[in-house]
Amino acid sequence: MIDVKNKVNSFFIFNSSFGPKEGDELKRILFFHPTQVTSDARKMQVGLCEAVVKFMTTFSSEPCEALQTQSKRYIFYQPEKGFWMVLVVRIPYATKSSTTTGEKKDVVEPSVMYDLLVSAYKIFRMFIGPFKDIPPEDIYSKCEQFFTPYIMTRNITNNLSNIIQGINYLPLEKNSFFKVMCFIDLLEMNYPDFKCISFVYNDQLIWNGLATNDMLTLYQYLVQTLLPKQVEKEIQGGAVTAAQRHGRFISPPDGICSAEDLQKLHRVYLMREDDTDTKQYYLVIYRTLSATVCFTVDVDTELNIDTFRALDAFIGPQLSTIASSISEQCTMHALQSAQLASSDHKFLYFNRLNLACKTSTPATSLTPSTAIKPEVLSIIAGIHSDRKGLGNYGEVIIKTPDEYWIAGKSSNDREFYVIIQDKNANLKDIADEVKRMCEDQMKGIFFYPM
Amino acid sequence: MARFCLKDSDKYYLCLSDQPKRFDADSPVTNVFFDDTNGEVFTVRSGGVTGVTVNGMDDSKSTSFRMEDKGPIISIKFSPDHNILAIQRNLEGQNATVEFVNFKDLAPTNVEYSHTCKWKNAKILGFVWPKANEIAFITDHGVELLQVLPEKKQLKTLKNISFSGAWFSWCAQSNIILLAGNNGALLQPFSLSNSTISKLQKLEVEWSRPVVERDVFVLRLCGGAWCALFRHADSTTPAPAAGPTEVWLIPISGGGATQHVLKTGLVGRFAVSVIDQLLVIHHQSSQTSQIFDIMEESKPENNIVIHIPIVQGISMKPAVVDDQPCPMYSGNWVVFQPDYVIDARLGCLWRVNLVLSGLAHSVPKDEVSKIVATLLKRQNGKETIYRILNQLVSEAGTYLVQLTKAFDEINSVYRKWAELEVARNTAGQAAPARALHFPVLVSQADVCAHVLQAHADDGHLVQVVTTYLASLSRHDMVVQHPVAELCVRTLVTRGAGGRLRSLVRRGCLGDARPLACQLLSLGHIDPAAAQIALDMMWRLKAYGEIVEVLLSWNEPISAVGAAKQTGATWLNMPPRKLLSAAKHYAEEKNEPTAFMAVYHALVARNERLRGNPNFIKGEQCAVYVEYYRQLTSEI
Repeated sequence: MIDVKNKVNSFFIFNSSFGPKEGDELKRILFFHPTQVTSDARKMQVGLCEAVVKFMTTFSSEPCEALQTQSKRYIFYQPEKGFWMVLVVRIPYATKSSTTTGEKKDVVEPSVMYDLLVSAYKIFRMFIGPFKDIPPEDIYSKCEQFFTPYIMTRNITNNLSNIIQGINYLPLEKNSFFKVMCFIDLLEMNYPDFKCISFVYNDQLIWNGLATNDMLTLYQYLVQTLLPKQVEKEIQGGAVTAAQRHGRFISPPDGICSAEDLQKLHRVYLMREDDTDTKQYYLVIYRTLSATVCFTVDVDTELNIDTFRALDAFIGPQLSTIASSISEQCTMHALQSAQLASSDHKFLYFNRLNLACKTSTPATSLTPSTAIKPEVLSIIAGIHSDRKGLGNYGEVIIKTPDEYWIAGKSSNDREFYVIIQDKNANLKDIADEVKRMCEDQMKGIFFYPM
Repeated sequence: MARFCLKDSDKYYLCLSDQPKRFDADSPVTNVFFDDTNGEVFTVRSGGVTGVTVNGMDDSKSTSFRMEDKGPIISIKFSPDHNILAIQRNLEGQNATVEFVNFKDLAPTNVEYSHTCKWKNAKILGFVWPKANEIAFITDHGVELLQVLPEKKQLKTLKNISFSGAWFSWCAQSNIILLAGNNGALLQPFSLSNSTISKLQKLEVEWSRPVVERDVFVLRLCGGAWCALFRHADSTTPAPAAGPTEVWLIPISGGGATQHVLKTGLVGRFAVSVIDQLLVIHHQSSQTSQIFDIMEESKPENNIVIHIPIVQGISMKPAVVDDQPCPMYSGNWVVFQPDYVIDARLGCLWRVNLVLSGLAHSVPKDEVSKIVATLLKRQNGKETIYRILNQLVSEAGTYLVQLTKAFDEINSVYRKWAELEVARNTAGQAAPARALHFPVLVSQADVCAHVLQAHADDGHLVQVVTTYLASLSRHDMVVQHPVAELCVRTLVTRGAGGRLRSLVRRGCLGDARPLACQLLSLGHIDPAAAQIALDMMWRLKAYGEIVEVLLSWNEPISAVGAAKQTGATWLNMPPRKLLSAAKHYAEEKNEPTAFMAVYHALVARNERLRGNPNFIKGEQCAVYVEYYRQLTSEI
């Protein structure tokens, strides 16, 4: 397990057109982490990257993706033309060339690093907007304000749930789902300015009203940034006052109590499901028990504290009823699944169309899936990122030298991976086992038959 | 409190029948009698010498005739088949005699006879015809049930029961007599069915005062016989402190053990009608009529249920007689069971009719669903329910909660009916009269055709459809195709594809082939819809369809795999189709092995089918066999 603080060597953003003249090199660096690095060292790092990126254009029209040196790995991401985000990690290296594969286990997967950059950019764009729309004089401070806390809180690990950027959906019995839907409908009808864009229970999604990609960004923001802080606060706070028991606005962090608080509401750029392009909205987040609901309000709307008070009175009791009924159902569900014989094989499922992601081990950071070896993860990450390999439909089974079998299946825009640890199995055993697991775990889902 | 007002509805929920039956008004020379068993008015002019006219709602039974004036008439009634006329007269010393005249084709024959009751000294309080040839004399000594033998001009006693009664009340629909004994302190019902008299359990009236005749009605309601008792405030307490009158409904037979208390909130003179299983209480001084539904959802406490009027009391719709407004609730009115009103002075006989739309004319927002529940129990309630639902849907922005509750009422009734049907079918019992328990059933197809489809342009249709589905789900009802189809159409056209997919993924719409096909057809604009459509087909084991889909997606190998899921699909698959798809795929993707795999699978199939690897001529596969040779020779 590795975390960013120790392993990330640096993270920076540059745009060569910001300081084209010699001597203006520092202007090109929009953001640099860590801050203690001297400006000369910064210039050197950025300069190297600029050169590599530029040099690579000679060979390919595709932007450069990575650079590996003996001690460092650079991952490049160009979200907007001219803007480059670079993540640099140290790789432990031995001077002897005879090192075996077993020793390189501490390296963060390039695809995981790349995903980190992508989601960092997307969250930035959600809250601040695209780089190109920010006036050049503001861009440095905006990046500083946003990326410093972001990169410091990011805990990137090589684990099963990090390999694929997906959304964990809460399986819910249909009547409970209807309760959620009808609650949202009623709320939107009574408060037409407010549009519900997501309903999350614990860290699992129930309802989404955003275009799928934006949903992933918002979901990641909620699950990785906002909610952990909130949960921590709730645990520490202990004495949640009686007035708060029905729920509260959690963004801004101190809630919305007065008209001034309304000014602190975040503005976000999002694309709703029925929208055709990204628009700016206020982001309102409300939480009761374990249920978190997000709303967008058009930025042109005149915000009124009375509306928010009325909304609080409306949502609070209803949401807590729904939340407790969901919690009951989850408990029942957990009991039932505990009774089922759990397989020791691990699996990972991903649906590219709705980004649904499901793993055999719960994807919470509290119980990391310890047993999976980095090279196994690296193989899965490889299959996942190489979409062309399996094509629209296919299956691959890989055996590692140390008795792991990895099976990857792709069909109908879905991916299914199984990790089996069995020294004595043969290919047919594994194929049968994968088939059985697929049928068990993915009931009612159609995988193209072989 | 916001009120829901049904558009184009009148405020009146009760009206008198359009054309009253006219008869000669009561006058010194004309006497008017009403027979509530047949619902007929007898006008007797000059004791019958100048004519007797019989008028009823059924014109074919109306007649007039003359008869001798043998003395003042107390009561005159036809037998139910109109073949015998019975007359009771007020004659000195002959109190216990009833005269009979045989009738043929509504005209009197000259066959006349009379019968004196068993107890010579008794006074006949009245007589009733429980059956065509049976008559019961109710006397102060008891009840005597007799069979009339018109040909023999005789009556034969069937059964008699002694009971000392002061007055009685008769319910023709239930054939029940309620006799008041001990000056009204004891109420004893008798049933006159099966040609016998049976004494029923006496009614316990633990009141301080004896009951008087005008406060007691025996009526048939919701399949049972009830005694309706008006319980006025105690007159010993000073008038201002006296509470309003309550109506107690005490079950006599068939109504279970629960008593119902109807709170009128009024004092004064009352009359009762029963219309379509609703109890209507007319109040003279306020000129209002209240409606009570004893079937409404309620929780009995100590076996007593308290009811308030379904809607606020209002007068009946003013009637017009001879182009003049007719005085309503006049002192000349006499109300008979179940729903007759007579104005003896004007000479009018009406029935009281229910105007269902009037019930929804103006109701508090929260009570809309209660009105729907009431309408579900009324004959002809469907039309008004549709009107209410349509208006709720049009104004869903305001009435979503009420609409949800209304859907719940409809579905819960439907669900109960469906359960009974299933139980009946499995038990193989005789069909219970559906109309009795479920006068209105609103099916999913009905809701689609009469409500949802008309609102294709309404702003909130997505929410309306969702709430309807939610209601179906709460009642554990399978979503039928018309609803699913409308749901898909609505959600897709309103840009709520995400909601549609969520509903399908979470099993809210149920799996069905038509739905899967509909989703599949959305595939070109929404790939996720096609994905879940294919899942659905898989769950439905629709392998034939899956093969077609995969072939159209240029996935011949998967198509073969899908076809192999069942022997029937695989063995009946035309090979040419697969081979042509495989060739296309192989050439397009430059993967000749794909073609070969399909080819080999089919050859193996031939072997199994016919013991011979070759394709038969009819399958027209020669060109592919050739293509296969060509490919293999290249390798």
